[in-house]
Amino acid sequence: MSKKSYVLALFNDFEEAAHAIAALRESRLKGFRMQDVTLKSPIDHPECAAELGDRPVYIQLFSLIGAVLGSSLGFLAISSAQSNFLRQPRGGFPIVPVPTNMVITYELFILGSVFFTIIACYVVFALHAQKNRLYSVAISVDKIGILVKADPAAVDGLKDIFTRYHALEVSESS
Amino acid sequence: MSFDNMTSNWSKLRVRHPQPDQYKDAPYKWGMVIDLDACTGCNACTTACYAENNLPVVGKERFLGGQQMHWIRIERYWGEGTESTQEFPEQGAQFLPMMCQQCEAAPCEIVCPVGATHHTPDGLNSQVYNRCVGSRYCSANCPYKVRYFNWFDYPESAWPSPLEQQLNPDVTVRTKGVMEKCTFCVQRLTEAKSKARTEKRTVRDGEVLTACAQACPSSAIHFGNLADPSSQVAQMWKAQQVELSAYPQKKNEQEETERLGGQVELVPYPQNKSEQNVETEQLGESGEKLRGYRVLEDLRTYPSVVYLERIRSTEA
Amino acid sequence: MTPHTHDDHEHEVATEARFVIKPKDINEEISWAQINEDVLGSLERPRPLFWVIFFASLAAFCWGVYCEIYQYRTGLGVAALENPQVWGLYIATFIFWIGMSHSGTLLSAILLLMHADWRKPIYRFAEAMTTFSLMTAGLFVLVHLGRIWQFYYVVAYPNERWAWPNFSSPLVWDATAIGTYLTTSIIFLYFGMIPDLAICRDKAHGFRRTFYRVMSVGWKGTDWQWANFRVTYLTLACLLIPLAVSVHSIVATDFAVSQQPGWHTTSFPPYFVAGALYSGCAAIVTLFIILRYTFRFEQYMTIPILEKLAKLTFAISMVWTYLNVVEYASVWYGTDPYAKQALIFRATGTYAGWWWAMNILGSVVPFAMTFKAVRTNIPAMMVVSLLLNLGMWTERFMIVTPTFAHGYYPWTWTGNWWPNWVQIGVIVGSFGWFTMLFMLFCKIFPSVSMYEVKEMVYHRIRARKKAATQRAPVAQPAQS
Repeated sequence: MSKKSYVLALFNDFEEAAHAIAALRESRLKGFRMQDVTLKSPIDHPECAAELGDRPVYIQLFSLIGAVLGSSLGFLAISSAQSNFLRQPRGGFPIVPVPTNMVITYELFILGSVFFTIIACYVVFALHAQKNRLYSVAISVDKIGILVKADPAAVDGLKDIFTRYHALEVSESS
Repeated sequence: MSFDNMTSNWSKLRVRHPQPDQYKDAPYKWGMVIDLDACTGCNACTTACYAENNLPVVGKERFLGGQQMHWIRIERYWGEGTESTQEFPEQGAQFLPMMCQQCEAAPCEIVCPVGATHHTPDGLNSQVYNRCVGSRYCSANCPYKVRYFNWFDYPESAWPSPLEQQLNPDVTVRTKGVMEKCTFCVQRLTEAKSKARTEKRTVRDGEVLTACAQACPSSAIHFGNLADPSSQVAQMWKAQQVELSAYPQKKNEQEETERLGGQVELVPYPQNKSEQNVETEQLGESGEKLRGYRVLEDLRTYPSVVYLERIRSTEA
Repeated sequence: MTPHTHDDHEHEVATEARFVIKPKDINEEISWAQINEDVLGSLERPRPLFWVIFFASLAAFCWGVYCEIYQYRTGLGVAALENPQVWGLYIATFIFWIGMSHSGTLLSAILLLMHADWRKPIYRFAEAMTTFSLMTAGLFVLVHLGRIWQFYYVVAYPNERWAWPNFSSPLVWDATAIGTYLTTSIIFLYFGMIPDLAICRDKAHGFRRTFYRVMSVGWKGTDWQWANFRVTYLTLACLLIPLAVSVHSIVATDFAVSQQPGWHTTSFPPYFVAGALYSGCAAIVTLFIILRYTFRFEQYMTIPILEKLAKLTFAISMVWTYLNVVEYASVWYGTDPYAKQALIFRATGTYAGWWWAMNILGSVVPFAMTFKAVRTNIPAMMVVSLLLNLGMWTERFMIVTPTFAHGYYPWTWTGNWWPNWVQIGVIVGSFGWFTMLFMLFCKIFPSVSMYEVKEMVYHRIRARKKAATQRAPVAQPAQS
């Protein structure tokens, strides 16, 4: 694999950044793919990020898995614990009462779902973390950044596109 | 192993108690009958319980502050709205010895968070001291409030040396933070059962008595095995037509009359009708009324103690 | 640039001459750099009141610790507990703290789903309040036990005796529910803070930078991070709402499952949840006013937002009042003599003063908030919110104590039980613990969510521009 360069362009305006991404997509520059373009912003910009194409999010699948696992394991654990080994009879109630198990299963269903959701999110963060290295502290204030991983040959073409859309600053690294 | 255990015993695990004839085949079901007509309020039962079960004497100040430790207490009632005008305040009072009723559907057993209280196979409500963490939910849920909490560490104050020599070695001395209550002198029961087992028989009626039953000078407290139909308490329960696992009790005056084989002879009611916890008053053969009841039975706790209502006039 | 300190009752933008000038929830022209600077500045230089509150709460906490140590060593008897008053203030305050914790969920999660963006400047500290309320409630679970050193028996851990906790007990359900809620709250609070922690990381130096770098788990604001973050946050909010409702319902079953008179009511679970939302909202108002002054958040915690909070509190107070009255009516017109006796004792017995106070503070005082003059007046709202919370604490006290004082068994009736200095000391200590933790949180982590405020400002400007372009071209909006 050839050595890649990273170009980060900072914009003041979200609309201009969106236009810049559209221009990137329509341009016939070789040396980069749309999936190597990342948007960095201080707030969530779904309409801007939509320009980048379809990047599906799978978190809620894991929430569902966690919910099912949490509730079923919890239910099995509790209901079997009541009757395994040492049985503790109490007057007036069966040893394995159903409403009790429902209550605790409900709590564990939520706990399982929460844990799996968070783990899924952290896994996603970890998986994507290595790819993008360039960052500017202005992004956490109010600037929007577009990061492109490209061949060094395409860098100049990218810089042209960015300056056309009033990029404040374009930095590069490899 | 445990999963098989659960599936093979599933029907037993899901059954609610109490059931009719639950103790039909059981060797023991401990019960009591307390005759309020014979009780004179002398507190011998309370004293005997203190001695037998290592109960600490908390002192007058703490007692009045509500931190008493008497597992069996003598309650005094004068009838609603009446004030005592006698020379001695206790005159005219009715006495009720109240201790843990060993309820078959005990409200305390289900709410203990750590499972320190259960129902034993011989029908007692058990308290496991070393499991208790002292959340006091059992006492909160007890309608009779017969559970007592160890608010302090009592040994130093209750039994200064050499008083600790008189403690009963068969009974734990409880630490602070633990709930305790009447156990029907389970240490005596265990000893009697063990002796009977070595002799390959069951405990005979009258062979084992709780400390309170043993000490009562007027024999107001009767203790025995309800699962043995020939025992005194079982016969008294049957005579009063009180069934362990039934509420409401189906009492039949006619049947009682026929059973006793006699004409109905009316006996005048006591004038003071507002006696405590009266459920029903029915007449059977003269001198023998159906005066047995259980306290707060409508809460469906199915207690194991039947009280026989007082007959004699409160002027005495 | 020095932070803004001016009061901002109305920050107006006149759109058309015929429209009424309305105060805005937030100044939409504020620059994002200013937002960062204000909030980060609050971490560095709060007003001196911060230190006063912090040290006062530390002192209260130390006093509570002393009382608790005395009680631990001598026994619960020193707290004036007795048979039958076995629970006292500890359980009442425990429920109070759990109730307070519902505020954060209300603001963070429920209002998120309702797209009420005025919650954005204030939900962070509300969520923090949730977490610390739960920690304080957890303290009471321990403090009220007779043998605290064996509290772990309540947890289902493998042990050699194969003894499990009693899963039928509502206290075990409590342990499960509160454990789940605390864990989830901490996760939710921390997770929602990640973009803000990235902002802190970018501006910090030295060991603080390392700390924030670790805490912000490599947040760079990329689109895939935002997309996943949004979905996760929304999922957590959707899970947190049924959890919060279930937690306080389960705490209510501590009483509802018991058969004691005055407790055995099926309306307790929703009643408790309503009371929880109520006291939580009132507490948010109190903390809002304190934080606004202490951390110089006048630009963000604005009067219009305070007004909205007041209206929300009023609405919830009416729900609580309804459930309260339903409980009284169903007992009064019902046939259960024990429950009726219990209600009459509450209204006319030893604690009648407190009962009437509870009803007046809980149902009558909120009507003050129907007046705009009260809603927009900061000292008035401070007083009102404190009174409401006092009313809710009294409600918990009135649930617990009179049932013990006047239960089924006449021999056990006690007419003159009151708590003593040990109990009150521990309660004061719990307030100190909560305030101390909360102040520490506000000093270390941003208590206003910077990225959410930016979003709020951004979306409002966009909406305004969109509305302006759709309007007739005759009247042009005055833009700055």
